[in-house]
Amino acid sequence: MNSTNRAAEPAEPESGSAGYGPWRLALRRFLRNRVAVAFLVLFFLIVAFVLAAPLWADHVAHTGPNETHTLQKLHVGGEVREVVTPEGKPIGPQWFEADGRFFLGADSRLGRDEMVRLMYGGRTSLLIAFVSGLITTFLAVVLGLLAGYYRGWVDAVIARTLDVLWSLPVLLIGIAIGTASALGGIGIGPLHLEGGSIWIPILIISIFYTPYVARPIRGEVLSLAEKEFVESAIAQGAGPLRVMFGELLPNLASTIVVFFALNIANNLLFESALSFLGAGVQPPNSSWGTMISIGEELLTTQPLLAIIPGVMIMLTVLSLNMVGDGLRDALDPRSKVRFEAKTGIAEPEGAAV
Amino acid sequence: MKKVRAAIAVLAFAAVTALALASCGGGGDSTSGGGGGEGKQGGTLNITYASFPDYMDPQLSYTQEGWSAMGEVYIPLLTYKRAEGAEGAEVIPGLAKEMPKISNGGKTYTLFLRPGLKYSNGKPVKASDFPYAVERLFKVNSGGSPFYTSIVGAEKFAETKQGGIPGIKTNDKTGEIQIELEKPRGTFSNELGLMFVAPVPQGTPNEDLSASPPPSTGPYTITKSQPGRGWEVERNPYWDKANSKAMPDLESGTIDGAKVTVVRNPQTQVNDIEQGKYDYMENPPPADRYTDVKEKFEGTQFRIEPTISTYYFWMNTKKAPFDDPKVRQAVNYAVDPAALERVYSGQIKGTQQILPPGMPGYEKFELYPHDMEKAKELLKEAHPSDMDITVWTDTESPNNEAGEYYEGVLKELGFDTKLKILNADNYFTVIGNQSTPDLDTGWSDWYQDYPHPNDFFQPLLSGESILQTNNGNFANISDPQLNKEITELGEEQLGSEQEDGYKELDKKYMELAPWAPYGTRTLSTFVSSAINLESVIYSPTFGAYLSSFEFNE
Repeated sequence: MNSTNRAAEPAEPESGSAGYGPWRLALRRFLRNRVAVAFLVLFFLIVAFVLAAPLWADHVAHTGPNETHTLQKLHVGGEVREVVTPEGKPIGPQWFEADGRFFLGADSRLGRDEMVRLMYGGRTSLLIAFVSGLITTFLAVVLGLLAGYYRGWVDAVIARTLDVLWSLPVLLIGIAIGTASALGGIGIGPLHLEGGSIWIPILIISIFYTPYVARPIRGEVLSLAEKEFVESAIAQGAGPLRVMFGELLPNLASTIVVFFALNIANNLLFESALSFLGAGVQPPNSSWGTMISIGEELLTTQPLLAIIPGVMIMLTVLSLNMVGDGLRDALDPRSKVRFEAKTGIAEPEGAAV
Repeated sequence: MKKVRAAIAVLAFAAVTALALASCGGGGDSTSGGGGGEGKQGGTLNITYASFPDYMDPQLSYTQEGWSAMGEVYIPLLTYKRAEGAEGAEVIPGLAKEMPKISNGGKTYTLFLRPGLKYSNGKPVKASDFPYAVERLFKVNSGGSPFYTSIVGAEKFAETKQGGIPGIKTNDKTGEIQIELEKPRGTFSNELGLMFVAPVPQGTPNEDLSASPPPSTGPYTITKSQPGRGWEVERNPYWDKANSKAMPDLESGTIDGAKVTVVRNPQTQVNDIEQGKYDYMENPPPADRYTDVKEKFEGTQFRIEPTISTYYFWMNTKKAPFDDPKVRQAVNYAVDPAALERVYSGQIKGTQQILPPGMPGYEKFELYPHDMEKAKELLKEAHPSDMDITVWTDTESPNNEAGEYYEGVLKELGFDTKLKILNADNYFTVIGNQSTPDLDTGWSDWYQDYPHPNDFFQPLLSGESILQTNNGNFANISDPQLNKEITELGEEQLGSEQEDGYKELDKKYMELAPWAPYGTRTLSTFVSSAINLESVIYSPTFGAYLSSFEFNE
């Protein structure tokens, strides 16, 4: 879609492109991808939305995410509305009729403000997805570099371990660990995580999704290790650490960035699934997954309670996937061919990544 | 019994209860004695439970799920009449030929086993199987064992697990069973009717047999059990051949068996009942669907069933901060039964005392009208040093939400709380194990085991009921004076004087506030259109009797 539009526009002056570094060039390519940019803006809006949770809670809704209002009554115009009816039915969306209180209604028979929980739940979901993305990426880079550089038995052990981990029924095992640890927590050496800690889903996701990133990185390291610049560095006396982190790692940067974005999207889905099934974020804390789980019980009478967090997950994952695709197109040197074919704009000379 | 646990008993009793039960039940619950005989004979019933019972073992199970699952599988020496209302509260002979002869000032019970009884594996039932079952009860540390410690030598056996119980003498030839008690016990006939002491064949392993339940004597027998997933019952092959002839006053039922599946999503359960995939759901519809189901199906497929139950939050009196009565009283002021009525979609009626309405000895009082300010003041006075607490509840809706509500109340009081929500299958097993860490406070319920107020004090609040495992006294309260009063009242037959005694006991306990009670519940029977609702007999203790189900013609 964007390529058609761009093709109609005049090409940028060649003079302005000369001497661009690879990252700046990638940025230019990314910015030309309007779909990716639009979804990046959407992602930032979602992040801003969840970061604004305390402001909304304190100044608009006047309640916290876990505060119950079972017996509270709202005065809307001249009308009195119960947050939860005697039959246990929670109030529906009030939008701005009650000055922003219960904007999306109450979440359950406990009468908690759905909008506040949506915002705080989004913080939790995104935090888990982001932190586990960082851990996954770190582990994947280290393992991929070790396996690809040393090869031999080191590669065999790491690669097979990743294969085994990747072949496991990740969700089922995640549920089992999450459920078991919800009671007594997890103890790993001196480290003890209390049951209910958000570090438990973070740990589960990080471990099980490491192969998702580590396997392609290992493959790329295996390929890069054959290149002249690596042989040259070794010939100049560079040690393994310098070769791995000084020579190979910078060349992996584009892959890492792309996978990091995509990994966050996957982590968000995994966290939602774990929480939905009671093995992730523990009540009373909310995440989008737990909110769908609570909403499911009220699906017939208050479908929005499950639909809204579901839509938030969908938009976030979609935006991250589109941004990830855009980054891949922008950072992958091979995308130059596609780029030219799509836009008709020639890559500036000497600007290949 | 906890969780909907409970209760056994047999419904029963008294005129007040009779009236209540009669008024519920969708009108003419005419079906006394089950199997109206108008429906189709045979067929396999598809049943759904929201959780698997705590145990599928007669000596161990202490939940309503377990008792409803096994109520017509394991028959004790005495049992309860398969009828609704006051009639269903009547204790009748089960495997015993007749009601016990009570002598020696209420301390000796003599019964005779009916001749010709057989287990589902074809082995004959012997009188000596009864003491074997009682000993097994103690050996597996059953939560029901405190009911039987008054048998001579039972207390010592509970400690040593060796040497037998000298207070039970049997004669396999004559079928005589003689039970000597240390002191009279007014509720002992009721307790002989509990499944805890249903005979099992000698040699039955002294371990949890949930995956492979022991042979049984009732009209149905469990042929397959998959803990966590479901079980199947079929006709006991020796029921028609032997036992039904020996026990003609017990119903045989019309259905061939039942396949029970655990479906943890109550929405799905309701949909499946409406579509005829299942014939009966053991638990009530979810709060969200309750009103809708009631409006659409009441009288044809749905019936409200009152219970004799108390829902409460327990506080561990042996640990700070709840070792201070002021802290516990503060919690009682803070918990608002009116809010919890809404959490349960109107399926509970608020109360703030141990004894529920309908139980002899019940007299309404309200020591702790909801007052958050007063609660905070009391807590300030108490100034507990430890404010870090763990709150426990189970996954079954709306108990999980009640736990969340309670956790929120405690947080509002200033406690630093952690909420633990456990699978309903093993919730009571976990919180009943004293080695579980952080047992500070949490949710529980109690349904009558039998229609006697002692059942709400002795198993739940007496010091002798504090057990290392399968504990039912979650508050771990043991007040010497109140323990003595429970024992003394339990020795006597129930009369107006004793009822007054229980009234006082209720108040005394609530002054100590080991619990924050919040309501008494109604349950329901919801069946598919293939089932004749009129035929279904519901016991607040055993749930719906399997033998009472009939398919429509």
